[in-house]
Amino acid sequence: MTYRADVLIIGAGASGGVAARHLAEHGFDVVCLEQGDWPDRSAFPGTRPDWELAIRKDWAMSPNVRNRPEDYPVVHDESDIEPLMYNAVGGSMIIYAGTWPRMLPSDFRVRTMDDVADDWPIAYRELVPYYDAIDQQIGVSGLAGDPAYPPHDDYPLPPLPLGAAGRRVAEGHNRLGWHWWPEPNAILSAPYDGRRPCVQRGVCTSGCAEGAKASTDLTHWPKAAAAGARLITGARVSRITLGPQGLATGAVWLDRSGVEHHQEADVVILAANAIGTARLLLLSADDRHCPDGLANSSGLVGRRLMMHPFSVVTGWWDDQVEGWQGHFGASITSYQYYESDPDRGFVRGAKWALSPVGGPLNHILPMRAGNEVWGPDHHVLMGRTFGRGASWAIFGEDLPEESNRVELDPERADTHGIPAPRVSYRISDHSRRLMAFQEDRATESLKASGCQETAVASMIPYSGWHLMGTARMGNDPATSVVNSRQQAHDVANLYVADASVFVTSSGVNPTCTITALALRTADLLVQHRSEQKVPA
Amino acid sequence: MTAAVSPAETSDIDIGRLTALADVMLPAAHGMPAVSDVEAVEAYLAQVLSWRDDLRQPLVRAVDALDPTSFTIDRLMALHEEDEDAYVALTSAVAACYYLSPVVRELIGYPGQVAKTYDPYAYTEWVAEGLLDPVVERGPIWREAPE
Ligand SMILES: Cc1cc2nc3c(=O)[nH]c(=O)nc-3n(C[C@H](O)[C@H](O)[C@H](O)COP(=O)(O)OP(=O)(O)OC[C@H]3O[C@@H](n4cnc5c(N)ncnc54)[C@H](O)[C@@H]3O)c2cc1C
Ligand code: SF4
Repeated sequence: MTYRADVLIIGAGASGGVAARHLAEHGFDVVCLEQGDWPDRSAFPGTRPDWELAIRKDWAMSPNVRNRPEDYPVVHDESDIEPLMYNAVGGSMIIYAGTWPRMLPSDFRVRTMDDVADDWPIAYRELVPYYDAIDQQIGVSGLAGDPAYPPHDDYPLPPLPLGAAGRRVAEGHNRLGWHWWPEPNAILSAPYDGRRPCVQRGVCTSGCAEGAKASTDLTHWPKAAAAGARLITGARVSRITLGPQGLATGAVWLDRSGVEHHQEADVVILAANAIGTARLLLLSADDRHCPDGLANSSGLVGRRLMMHPFSVVTGWWDDQVEGWQGHFGASITSYQYYESDPDRGFVRGAKWALSPVGGPLNHILPMRAGNEVWGPDHHVLMGRTFGRGASWAIFGEDLPEESNRVELDPERADTHGIPAPRVSYRISDHSRRLMAFQEDRATESLKASGCQETAVASMIPYSGWHLMGTARMGNDPATSVVNSRQQAHDVANLYVADASVFVTSSGVNPTCTITALALRTADLLVQHRSEQKVPA
Repeated sequence: MTAAVSPAETSDIDIGRLTALADVMLPAAHGMPAVSDVEAVEAYLAQVLSWRDDLRQPLVRAVDALDPTSFTIDRLMALHEEDEDAYVALTSAVAACYYLSPVVRELIGYPGQVAKTYDPYAYTEWVAEGLLDPVVERGPIWREAPE
């Protein structure tokens, strides 16, 4: 007899983990299919001497560079930004930096307030209880009272250390009269929920061996499993199946040896990130019900991909600040130029996050703060900069455009022969103006903070860590893929829990909002369980 | 220092030739030793290739393509144009060997990525000191949005 779950979740990353735990703890029979494995913390490279070599190959942020069997290739020849992700239990949180800002009230109302893009069908206020709950589940370190935000509950843990660089830039901003605040991070500053605190090793983006940085393999999956959720790893979903009534009946998946299985379920939740989810919806096209892709009567599946144009402005002092050390999330943040001011020649803005700059190889091999100089001048450069710098990481709000999209590639495929996603994405002129302004201000910030030298790495291509928008939320089925509960307009028992549903990108790192939305979606499913349509 | 895996074979790479190239890229200057002064290639190349075997073939190509007797930084940059993978392998391998040397690390003041202890409640001191006061005193900067 085939086993039918109440809920099938596809993807065990940030959104999948949060939804699974909530549903399992509320009595749902949950199965999750995840193409990757449980991460082995002893294999994380950050404590090894080859760390900076490993992050350029086996531990690269790009699935195309890592090229592990569980990774699928992402074709990005026609994209100004390369999409980055990690495929495992915990998802991209395994290698994320851990900055944990909420979106702001204006982020949900950009059409009404700034006459661009679209408003969200929900408001900031509706998400606040979920933001508060998720902060507790994750174990966020931060300080309440930031005047860039409406007042909200305090974080469960004190803020992480400012570090020498954070302190200097904070003082610089006080001199300028500019906003700064300790960044909230999904990184423990003190023991919490059986996990150890951060030791400031500064290797967060290749996995936190301490387990101090939150990822759902630590924060959610053990609790979901304890509540009865079943997680199948090495399970790559190739398509969602539809029944005669046009409802989802489950998904076809392939195990590591390529054997095909079908998992039946009453409800299917996609949590495969904004590229993986769009890919699966397009792969699930069916000549009878949905020739252009599942849940795609609006034609918007895969469209409106947003990735946040990203620049780095680095400053160097004339003395040591141990610039290789410290949590990568961010020590301090600035929202000085976040909210719109049309006099600047663009609307919306950017969030800045102050981060360390890595070890010697990161200084001299091109990646982030890199400056390639060889010969005798190499030593001059290293003497002047190594250990003396910090970087403002600048995330610009990315306005949605239908031409920025995910499609299926006709040629490339993953190890199971399933077509790879192909990304076409261009940074707009509006984004370029916005980023140029922010880069100039961030340079002023670092100069006012005493840096002798500054450099701008403008809109770097290797920065597609925030994937959003490819199955947008909205009230009108003609112009959106899911409703405000993240339920597909076309398929009443199909939900999308990840950032595919974002209407606009905001200018902040998305995972705090992704997880708050996933918790809300799961909670609304619990509340409306008796009305939920399921296949016969 | 602990090795993650056992050192790899390096017989396919001419160590003397690579060291000579490396000495042009990272020569003795400004108080820093040359690559050969700290025997970085001899000591660490096998280790580096055990970690990154994918660098081996392009590194062999780079070493074959470049003549150490006439090698200059301009020639290195020309390699970047001609064969990017060979260029990346050469610069990565040379830099990795050099910065694994304890002598070099000591000179640049780099102990590696180390674990630190700190008092998570020390923030109360800079809060009490008033570091955030100007930010708070300027008041809210977020915009009210219609529901
Ligand atoms: C280097 C880096 C740094 C980042 N830093 C930050 C940060 O500081 N702050 C922040 O807010 N965000 C950050 N992010 C982004 C953050 O990691 C993502 O927003 C978040 O993980 C997305 O959650 P998700 O659930 O949508 O997808 P993911 O966490 O990516 O999980 C999706 C899961 O689905 C699985 N999957 C996909 N397709 C299939 C399939 N066909 N079958 C089975 N399984 C499948 C994948 O294997 C994966 O495990 C960063 C990301 C990267 C890469
Ligand atoms: S700095 Fe902290 S969060 Fe980052 S890897 Fe180290 S212990 Fe983990």
